[in-house]
Amino acid sequence: MDKQLDLLQGTLDMLILKAVSLGPLHGYGVLLRIQQISRDCLEIQQGSLYPALYRLEHHGWIASEWGESENKRKAKYYRLTAAGKRKLLSEAEKWNRMTEVISGILGTTPEEV
Amino acid sequence: MSFPSRLQSWLRATLQRSGLEREMDSELRFHLEAYAEDLMRSGLSRSEALRRARLEFGGFERAKEECREARGISFLETLLQDLRYAARTLRKNPGFASIAVLTLALGIGASTAVFSLVNAILLRPLPYPDPDRIVMPELVSPPGVNLGSEYFPWGQIQFRMLTRDSHPFQAVGAFQNDSFNLTGTGDPFFLDGFRVSAEFFGALGISPALGRTFTTEEDQPGHEYEAILSDRLWRQRFAADPGVLGRTVRLNGYAYTVVGVMPASFAFPRTEEMPSSFNFPREPQLWVPFAIPAQPKGGPSELAIVARLKSGLTLEQAQSAMDLVTKHAEAQDPNFKGWFNTRVIPLARQVTGDTRRPLTLLLGAVGIVLLIACSNVANLLLTRSLGRRREFTLRAALGAGATRLIRQLLTESLLISVTAGAAGILMATAAVYFVKVLGPLNTPRLREVSLDLPVFAFTMAISMVTGVLFGFAPAIGATRENLADSLKTGGPRSGGGPFNPRLRHALLVSQVALALVLAISAGLLTRTFFRMLGADGGFRAERVLTFQLSLPPIKYRDPSHIVTLFDNTLDRLRSIPGVQSAGIGETVPMGGDGESTVIRLSDHPAATPQEWPFANYTIISPGFFSAIGAPLLRGRDFLESDTADSLPVAIVNAAMEKKYWPGQSALGKQVGPGGPRYPLLTIVGVVPDVKHISLREDTAPEMYVLFNQKPWPSMLNMRVALRTRNDPSSVTESVRDALHSIDPDLPLAKVATLTTLLDDSLSQPRFAMLLLACFGVLALVLAAIGMYGVVSYSVMQRTQEIGVRMAIGAGRGDVARMVLGQGARLAGMGLAIGLAASFAVARLMTSFLYGVRPTDPLTFIAVASLLVAVLLLACYLPARRAMRVDPIVALRQE
Repeated sequence: MDKQLDLLQGTLDMLILKAVSLGPLHGYGVLLRIQQISRDCLEIQQGSLYPALYRLEHHGWIASEWGESENKRKAKYYRLTAAGKRKLLSEAEKWNRMTEVISGILGTTPEEV
Repeated sequence: MSFPSRLQSWLRATLQRSGLEREMDSELRFHLEAYAEDLMRSGLSRSEALRRARLEFGGFERAKEECREARGISFLETLLQDLRYAARTLRKNPGFASIAVLTLALGIGASTAVFSLVNAILLRPLPYPDPDRIVMPELVSPPGVNLGSEYFPWGQIQFRMLTRDSHPFQAVGAFQNDSFNLTGTGDPFFLDGFRVSAEFFGALGISPALGRTFTTEEDQPGHEYEAILSDRLWRQRFAADPGVLGRTVRLNGYAYTVVGVMPASFAFPRTEEMPSSFNFPREPQLWVPFAIPAQPKGGPSELAIVARLKSGLTLEQAQSAMDLVTKHAEAQDPNFKGWFNTRVIPLARQVTGDTRRPLTLLLGAVGIVLLIACSNVANLLLTRSLGRRREFTLRAALGAGATRLIRQLLTESLLISVTAGAAGILMATAAVYFVKVLGPLNTPRLREVSLDLPVFAFTMAISMVTGVLFGFAPAIGATRENLADSLKTGGPRSGGGPFNPRLRHALLVSQVALALVLAISAGLLTRTFFRMLGADGGFRAERVLTFQLSLPPIKYRDPSHIVTLFDNTLDRLRSIPGVQSAGIGETVPMGGDGESTVIRLSDHPAATPQEWPFANYTIISPGFFSAIGAPLLRGRDFLESDTADSLPVAIVNAAMEKKYWPGQSALGKQVGPGGPRYPLLTIVGVVPDVKHISLREDTAPEMYVLFNQKPWPSMLNMRVALRTRNDPSSVTESVRDALHSIDPDLPLAKVATLTTLLDDSLSQPRFAMLLLACFGVLALVLAAIGMYGVVSYSVMQRTQEIGVRMAIGAGRGDVARMVLGQGARLAGMGLAIGLAASFAVARLMTSFLYGVRPTDPLTFIAVASLLVAVLLLACYLPARRAMRVDPIVALRQE
C-alpha cells in the first residue's frame, strides 16, 4: 500500500464519521450525504465505502443496527459512538492544522523567506 | 481501539460467521437497489438501472473480501484454511503422516507413563505433615564387620540410651513387628501388627481417624493392653462400627481395649518401604504399645526407629547430634565401642529405597526413546520438506508471504504433534493401567500412580518444539531461496543450509548409537533375568505348600509346650493323605530373610569384634530339608532320634563350610551362637545354599539347629513347608482341620505354594526386564525407520544419477552396493559411537546384573548384529527400488 492511498483512506474515514455525526445513516445514505454536503465535488468509490464502514465499526467508532429505510426496506443504519465523536474531533483538528500549515507553505511569497 | 471491542468484533465474526455473511450480502444489495431506484427515477429501465448501479459500485466480490478483512476475521479463517490444507497434504502422504504420528505417539506415551510412575513413586512427598523432617536413624555395622547388611537393628537398651540423652528429635518412636492372633470374632484370625512406643504416631505426625493414640502411661510395662486398628481391619472384622472404641478384643489371649482406628491411607511401616534387614510384614493391621521398660534387660530385640527432627534442624546437624549420642554411649559402656554408630536417613529416601534404582534406569531408557523419537521425526520433517521445496518456491512466487508459508509449515508440524499427543495420552493411560495391574505388588505406592497431566504437557511440549524447530527450517530456506533458480533446477539438488544432508546424517547416526545403547542394556538385563531363572536356589519349588504357624504367646510361654505342639503338628500333617513330607522352619525359601547373628567357632577363636564370625541362625525341625527339596550334600539330616538329651547337632550350608573351613569338610566341627554361655553344636551335615529373598542374592553362611535342642522365643512364629504328591493347594482344608483339632486358637496364615513365593520374588526383575526389552525393541524399530527415511530419500534424490550410471554400464548389483554402502557407512558410525557409549553405560548398570559381566561379549555381539540386520533391511527396500530404476525413464525426467 502506498502513502497516497493511506491518506485517501484516512480522509474517507473522517468524511464518513462527519456524515454519520449529523444523524444515523445507512451506507447508501452516507454516500448521498457526502455528495450532498460537498455539492457533488467529491466522487467516492462506492466499492471502497463498505470496507471503510466495516473498519470503523471494527474500531468501535461507529455502531450499526438494522432499521427501516425511507421506502420501507430493511437497511443497516450507522451512528456515531462516543469514541467516534472523540476520534472525529481529533481528526478534524489534525486536518485543520495540516491544511493551515500546507496552505501557509503554498501561500509563501519570495519576500517572506 | 479498546481490547474488549476488538475481542467482541472478533468473537462475533467467528461465532456468527454465516450470519455476518448474510448481513453483508443484504446490506450491499440494499445499496445497489436503492441506487438503482434513484437511477430509475431519472427514467432508466429497472434492468438498465441495476446494471449501471453494479458497474459504478465496482468489484462486488472484492469489496466483500475487503469488508471481511476489515472486520478482522482473518486469523481464524487463515488458521482453518491452514489446518484444512495441512490435513489434506498429510492425507496425501499417509506413509509419512502415520510414521511421524506413530513415532511421536510412542515417544510421548512411553515417557508420560514412565514419568508418571517416577513422579508418584519417587518425587511425590510422603503423605505425612512436614515429611522432610521425618527420618530413620539406623545403626551402622562397625567397619570391617559384615553382618550381611550395612545396618543392624536397634536394641531396647540402645533405644533407652538414645531417649535419655539429648537427641535432635522432637519425637522419636520405636517399632517392632509382632503377630497377633485375634480370637473371639469368628475364626481365629492372624494379624500382622506392630508394637510401637508412645511417640511413634507423633513422629509421623498422623492422628487416628477415630479415637486417639497411645499415652505415655500406656507405653509402660503392665499398662500396654490398648490397641489401634487399621482401617482395613476395622472394616473387615468390626463392620466399620464407630462403637468399636472402648471395646475389648482378645489378642494372643490377652484382653486389649480398642482406643483408635487409623485413616485408610495409613499403613506404616510397609515391608517394601523398610530396610530389607528387617523381616517386616507386608502391611500392618494393628498397633499396640511397646512398653519398653525404663531399664531394659538385654536379650534379642529388633527395633526400628522413626523420628521427627526438631524444627529448623538440618540433616547434618541431626547427624552430628547423633554422633554425640554415640560418644556418650561409648563412654558409658565400652562394650558399645563401634556398635553404636548411627546414620540418620530421611524417610523419603528409605521409603523409595531399592525401588529408586530400577526406576532411574527406566527413566534413562525412556529418555533415550523420547530422544530417538524426536530426532526421527525431525529427520522425517527435514527430508519431507526437501521434497516440497518446489511447492514452496512456487507458492512464494505466486505471492504467499514468508509469514504465511512459515505458518503453513508450523500448522502442519503442530497438527502432527497434537495428533501424536492424543494417541500418546491413550497409550500412556493404557500403559499406566497395565503397570498397575501387572507391576510387581511390592513396589511402594504403586497404587497411587495415576496419569500425570503436567508430565504429559511437558512431553507434549518437547515433541511440539521438535516439530516446530525442524518444521521451520525448510520454511526459512524456502523464503530465502532464489525463486528462479529453484524452479529451474526442478528440485533439491543444490543447496546447503537446512538442506544439508549432514544434519540429517548426524541425526541418524545419533539414533543408531542411542538405539544400540538401549538395546544392549535391555539385552544385559534379559540375560540377567534368564541367569536368575537358571540359578540354583537350593530348593525345588514344585508341589510345596507353605503357611505360617503363629502361636498365642499366652498359651505357649513354656518352650516345652512349643516343642510338644510342633511334634504333634508334624505328626498330624504327615498323616494327611497326599502329604509326602513336612517340616517346620523359621523361614522358607523366598519367604523372607534369615537372621544374622554372631557365632562362635571352636577352631577359630576371634580376638577383636571385627573378626567375629557370623552366620544366619535358623531353627528347623527334622523333615524340613526334604519338604523344601534341599538335598543333603554330605553327612546326615536331622533325625527323630536327635532330642534335647542327645548330642547337640547342627547342619550348615555350603557357603558356611567354604567360608570358615575352606578346603576342608565341616563335618564334625563345632559351632555355636556367640557368647560362651551357649553350648557348642557338632556339625553333622552340609546342605546347599538355600536362598531367602531372591534367586540372585549372594548366599550368606547359614547354620541350622533343631527346635527341640534349642527352644527360643522366636519359635512362636514359624513357617511350615509341606511337600505333596499332587496339587499342593488341595490339602489346604485338611491342614486347617488338622491345626484346628490340635488347638482351635491356631490361625492358618500366609498360605502360599513355594512356586507362588518364587514367582513373587521374580516379579520385579521380570517387570524391569520386560519394560526395558520393550524400549529396546522400540528403539531398534525407530532407528530402522530413521535409516529407511534417510536412504530412501537419497535414492529418490539420486534417481537421475542412478539412471546415468546404469546407462553407461553399471549393473544392478553396483547400484545396490552403492545404496547399501551409504547406509552401511552411517550404520557403522552409529555402531562405533553406540558401542563406546554402551561400555560406559553397562558399567553403570553393574549392580543390576547377575551372572553376566557388563562387557558380556555375547550380548554385545548379538545385539549389535541384530541392529545391523535391522538397519540393512531398512536399506534394502530403497536399494531394491534403486535397482529397478529404468535408465530411460530416469533420464527423460530432466
